[in-house]
Amino acid sequence: MAARETVICIGCPLGCRVTVLQDKKGNVTSLKGAECKQGEKYVLKELQNPVRTLTATVPTTDERFPLLPVRTSRPVLKVLMKPIMRETVKVRVKPPVKCGDIIVKNVFKSKADLIATTDWPGPGGEG
Amino acid sequence: MASRVDVAVIGAGPAGLAAAIAAREQGAEKVLIVERAEQLGGLLPQCIHNGFGLVYFEQDMTGPEYEKAFVDKAMRLGIETQLETMVIDLDEERGMTAVSRKHGYMNFKPEAVVLAMGCRERSRGAVGIPGTRPAGVLTAGTCQRYVNIEGYMPGSRYVVLGSGDIGMIMARRLTLEGAKVEAVVEIMPWPGGLIRNEVQCLHDFGIPLLLEHTVSFVHGEERVEGVSVCKVDSERRPIAGTESFFPCDCLLISAGLIPENELSRKAGVALDPVTGGPVVDQDRQTSVAGIFAGGNVVQVHDLVDWVSREAETAGRSAAVFADKGKIKPAKGVAVVPGRNIRYVVPQFISGRDDVTLHMRVAAPGLNATVKVGGVLKKRLRSVRPSEMIVLDLKGAALKQAGPEKELIVDCDMKGSD
Repeated sequence: MAARETVICIGCPLGCRVTVLQDKKGNVTSLKGAECKQGEKYVLKELQNPVRTLTATVPTTDERFPLLPVRTSRPVLKVLMKPIMRETVKVRVKPPVKCGDIIVKNVFKSKADLIATTDWPGPGGEG
Repeated sequence: MASRVDVAVIGAGPAGLAAAIAAREQGAEKVLIVERAEQLGGLLPQCIHNGFGLVYFEQDMTGPEYEKAFVDKAMRLGIETQLETMVIDLDEERGMTAVSRKHGYMNFKPEAVVLAMGCRERSRGAVGIPGTRPAGVLTAGTCQRYVNIEGYMPGSRYVVLGSGDIGMIMARRLTLEGAKVEAVVEIMPWPGGLIRNEVQCLHDFGIPLLLEHTVSFVHGEERVEGVSVCKVDSERRPIAGTESFFPCDCLLISAGLIPENELSRKAGVALDPVTGGPVVDQDRQTSVAGIFAGGNVVQVHDLVDWVSREAETAGRSAAVFADKGKIKPAKGVAVVPGRNIRYVVPQFISGRDDVTLHMRVAAPGLNATVKVGGVLKKRLRSVRPSEMIVLDLKGAALKQAGPEKELIVDCDMKGSD
């Protein structure tokens, strides 16, 4: 069965709705609606390998700073967002923490690490 | 506070930090940031999502990372901060009154002031939704603080009113934390936030976006039990008979931001009725000499990067003012919104120097041409009220166009979105 999908390009405010037809092997046979080449590239990538940077928080052992914000060190497959979220609740971080510290290595075998996005304590002491 | 303060910055969010850094780098010796919260950064610490810094650092950063870049720099430059301190009065001679638990009541008179108070969210009261008054109605930003900083989930089943960026980002965040977001309801025919948020926050998670709909009633006694959602007509009035009931235990309001200008008013600063912020010239000087403004207190930006840039202009100008005791208002030419332009900032320019104009259209459309008097013509494939238009004007082009008292900005379109 050939598949038909619509992808909205997020490259610019235009937000082109791009319709893509694929044959049963997954080869793209038609791509319509993109106003520019970059948009077509984005749409193909989004179709074949949709990735996102996941941001979340993980619990700490410090009640004055209960949550440490984290992100994946690189974009991960969209389908891995929920399983990675389930990993975040298993973590207990013991401060001090520096921005960029690895909190979970290769989280859910995504090849991305969960890394801290802030310092605690901060530069002016706490906060 | 007896010692001389060259530049006092009110607010330590992205605008205040950028303004203070720019003032210091411009040569102001004593730069003081006064902040009412207990930490620097304003809202950035709770904006844990990415998408910051793409313009300013050409890097995709989270809110806390963007904040850290500025806080670290401010500390290195020896900028002083006074936290948990609320400025309660400002007069047109730059006399400031502030209070804090630690220092009590303080009066001081800085050589120059930068207003960087940012904005606040439109609340349920300001939107005016009929119904009961149960627990569980809160703004998207308040919810963001509960979830990302304090570690509370205010509910398990949500409806979001308004498709502003924070609302859509919270819809994703709550879904990832295990809650169910029933719908995002938007009264306008177009989404209120950026396209990338519509795609990555709503479409990614199958959250419906109901355009031309609004919440017509809040149900529940102690706690929200659900909301009625109905269609609206072209005048944005609810259409009778179109109501449907959405069960939920939380209603989030993401219905726009309002620049916070109580202090500006006290100081006699003239405000623009459309932006809700001070009328400024290209140096970001307000109508009161020595008082400058930048960031969301002037106009609600969609990207923090532009907040930082605008506040830097204000900070640099404030440092010059502190040094020279004056800065000539750049009021040679008024920039006036024309067809399909809601506002333009700055409202005044010198007419001689390079300047960046920020503007928003009133209605979306395709194949637009934005004309700035006879000085600049720019074609844009698509314009939307939610996406700020940024145009650079060259001083040479302005001079060549000759002495005009007024530049009218028009946006004409060949098609509608």
